[in-house]
Amino acid sequence: MSCEQAERDLDAYLDGELDAGVAMTVRNHLGTCAACRRHVVEREALSRLVETAPYYSAPERLRARVVAQTTRFRFVRRAMMLAAAAALAVSAGGGMMLLRSASTFVDAIADDAVDSHVRSLMANHLFDVQSTDQHTVKPWFQGKLDFSPPVVDLASNGFPLVGGRLDFLGGRPVAALVYQRQKHAINVFVSPEHDDASARAAVRSVRGFHVHHWTHGGMSFWAVSDVNDSELTEFSRALGAS
Amino acid sequence: MPQRPFEEAVLPHLNAAFNYARWLTKNDAEAEDVVQDACVRAMRYFSSFHDDDARAWLFTIVRNAWYSRVARRPRVADATPFDGARDDRRDDALDPEERLLQQHSVALVRAALERLPVDFREVIVLREIEGLAYKEIAAVVRVPIGTVMSRLARGRERLSALLKLAPMETTR
Repeated sequence: MSCEQAERDLDAYLDGELDAGVAMTVRNHLGTCAACRRHVVEREALSRLVETAPYYSAPERLRARVVAQTTRFRFVRRAMMLAAAAALAVSAGGGMMLLRSASTFVDAIADDAVDSHVRSLMANHLFDVQSTDQHTVKPWFQGKLDFSPPVVDLASNGFPLVGGRLDFLGGRPVAALVYQRQKHAINVFVSPEHDDASARAAVRSVRGFHVHHWTHGGMSFWAVSDVNDSELTEFSRALGAS
Repeated sequence: MPQRPFEEAVLPHLNAAFNYARWLTKNDAEAEDVVQDACVRAMRYFSSFHDDDARAWLFTIVRNAWYSRVARRPRVADATPFDGARDDRRDDALDPEERLLQQHSVALVRAALERLPVDFREVIVLREIEGLAYKEIAAVVRVPIGTVMSRLARGRERLSALLKLAPMETTR
């Protein structure tokens, strides 16, 4: 093993993150190389120093606020469920109530989807895998998610696939597929459908972005973009039909 | 799997969440806002959370909450979430004021860590202070494990240089 290789693996070695075989090679190299051993000493000194970095504990008032929020949240939800159940038992009014709580959930996810969209553009983190080839993008998700998102290229419809990445939506890991329309990016967040509340198709406009939601083949889709609404509708249709 | 209540699963990690947020934001008030925002999101999504590792889950939400706040902020010139403008200063030397603090290791380490670009800072915090495995860090930061590895190596290299443990590498 060369010093260059050892250096590359040194951090993972010290962190105990190398598999046994590679770790052994690094260990053997360290046995023969004083320069790399110095590097180890330096890293260990650094670790000890970083241990002295301040640990910021949550202030009491923050904890109190979060606890109060939890209580309020639970109370409101229970009240809504009770009211919905009661209304259901009595008459059709329950439908309205359930609809209301479902749409709050949809709004929350739509908001989140727009956040993720904006984040992906701002942080220059549009792709983890950049490819126009669906046969490259789809397998990339394998092992990274516990489901396999459908990946299709819509170049023939004027929406070429440009890549994909992992993202997080509604508190769950999701596949983000990125399509392009001229200079505009369209983010599509895909996850298995399992929330009754989000089963309904929805169209939203959030902070100037269009958000389309639909379910298809057991998967839930959220498409977000700044393209105009008719284009996003065309896109959603093309994707939904494929 | 019977679900634990939110308080039991998530609240024990409030300190960790705040610590992470504080290192991301470098500011007490903002860290509080981020964590509160994250907790609201976490509550909302808690019913769909079936993983065991509530701490890593909460980290992910804290990180998202922070990035969302940054993204919503009116854009100042070329501001990016990586606070590039601030962090791209030559970082091989600390201010005179910071130098005075050199006797004081805690302050020195804090200043040096805060000087690191956030991409490097967060992986070091998650690894060295929170003790997350590479795999967990990869999930929180949503990058491949190889990227975690190289960010850690480069981040530590820079930190060593800042703390004068080693000469600054010429590359990057």
